[in-house]
Amino acid sequence: MKTTDDRRAQFDAECRVAGLSLAARDAELLYAMWLEWLPERDRLRAAVPAAEDEPWR
Amino acid sequence: MAVSVADLDLRGVSEALARRELSSVEATVAYLDRIAAHDPVLRAYITVTGDMALAQAKEADAEIGRGARRGPLHGVPIALKDLIAVAGVKMTGGSRVLADHVPTRDAFVTRRLKGAGAVLLGKLAMHEFAFGRPVTEGAFPTGRNPWDVQRSPAGSSSGSAVAAAAGLCAGALGSDTGGSIRGPASMTGLVGHKPTYGLVSRSGVLALSWSLDHVGPMTRGVWDSAVLLQAIAGADPEDTSTRGAATQDYVSDLERGARGLRLGVLKRYYVEFPGLHDDVRAAALTAFDVLRKEGATLEEVDAPSLDQALAVWAPLMSEAYEYHAETLRRSPEQFGEGLRTRVYFSALFTAQDVQRAQRLRARIGREVDALLSRVDALIFPGQAMPALRFEDFPSTGFAPASIRYTAPWNLLGLPAAVVPSGFSGDGLPVSIQLVGRRFDDATVLRLARAYERVTEWHQRRPDPARWRL
Repeated sequence: MKTTDDRRAQFDAECRVAGLSLAARDAELLYAMWLEWLPERDRLRAAVPAAEDEPWR
Repeated sequence: MAVSVADLDLRGVSEALARRELSSVEATVAYLDRIAAHDPVLRAYITVTGDMALAQAKEADAEIGRGARRGPLHGVPIALKDLIAVAGVKMTGGSRVLADHVPTRDAFVTRRLKGAGAVLLGKLAMHEFAFGRPVTEGAFPTGRNPWDVQRSPAGSSSGSAVAAAAGLCAGALGSDTGGSIRGPASMTGLVGHKPTYGLVSRSGVLALSWSLDHVGPMTRGVWDSAVLLQAIAGADPEDTSTRGAATQDYVSDLERGARGLRLGVLKRYYVEFPGLHDDVRAAALTAFDVLRKEGATLEEVDAPSLDQALAVWAPLMSEAYEYHAETLRRSPEQFGEGLRTRVYFSALFTAQDVQRAQRLRARIGREVDALLSRVDALIFPGQAMPALRFEDFPSTGFAPASIRYTAPWNLLGLPAAVVPSGFSGDGLPVSIQLVGRRFDDATVLRLARAYERVTEWHQRRPDPARWRL
């Protein structure tokens, strides 16, 4: 189980990797958005594509 | 002029022009007067091109007078979302970033509409770059819902919806990346048609997400949308996605009815969604019965992978980050907070997220194609709920839960139309949605018309007496 601090650290790390340099308010709004969307992102990352699931063209 | 233009749909205006009961100049002046009277409250327009419209209207009247009527759009006053280029007219995208931007070329769809003789009344309000939030203040307010001015018309084609619903134009074009035509059309009692991806060119249209963006009509009636689609559909060498555009006659089959057509009801994912408003569900179930009585066959169908559609849609919006990244780095303060945060968010997906999304997108597509090999179209409620009050819009959130009703069909590029299906207990419009096979937009519109012609929801008009703050 991740703590709030863990989540925040993960978010900050992802922002750094993405090269985002954010004003304080933007960072807070983005963090709230990121937290809210985590279940959908987890759903995406947990999905197991089949061999025939080639990228959409 | 014996005709009250504001009460007419596009067909009514077109037919009055054809019968010479109304001139294009009279229609244009009537709309311009109505814009002047009501747009200070409704805020549908960013730019009104009155002089240009009157010049076009005079030319149309002269041609029609010579017996050279070009077709059903000749002399009909319409308006365009402010991300569709009109040469010499400011195109802002609803953003300070482009506040002074004046394109030098028409978009493909603009050229087509001008060629059809349509009169362009102006450029319509929108959520910033089609991805911002509804706002009532500032340089680019996004418009107020004519059914209740304390509510948003949703977005992002907010001004297109407000103008068409309020009778500030005979019809409008919007764009749809996750529901931006169908959402606002649903909230304002309009027909909104997102065409098949690749049927309508996006050249000269500001991008949000290249593989999800669609341009299409928003009108009071199905015939109106069919006529506008007929004018703008077709291959454009400047938009490679239209290379395979297979156009149909969208108008001649409209009155063939629903008899013999098979409809698949996406019950589990849409009708049983816990977030679906009771009034929307009740209206949809009644609408299904109407189509059954009209001779359609309805059966329950399901595509289990739809459960992943939102998880798939979001990473693909990283195209928006690519589009805006340079400006964001240079001058983030130029963007509104809502747009800026969403674009930043779309940068947080990894390359693997995007490719995983593309693989799952293909899976959803296969499942839905299998359904559409058994039925002619899919049917379900158009949106999760009626229009929200401005203050009820969440201040955070990448996308509302109700986007599940629209975004999957952007992912798959299938034709999708909403048509008014009643009103909530609060007097707000609600809709049903129809989705068809790729490049079979004609069947979607035919089914929409089959429903429309035996119901009266599309004939109701919002009351201008309530357009006060």
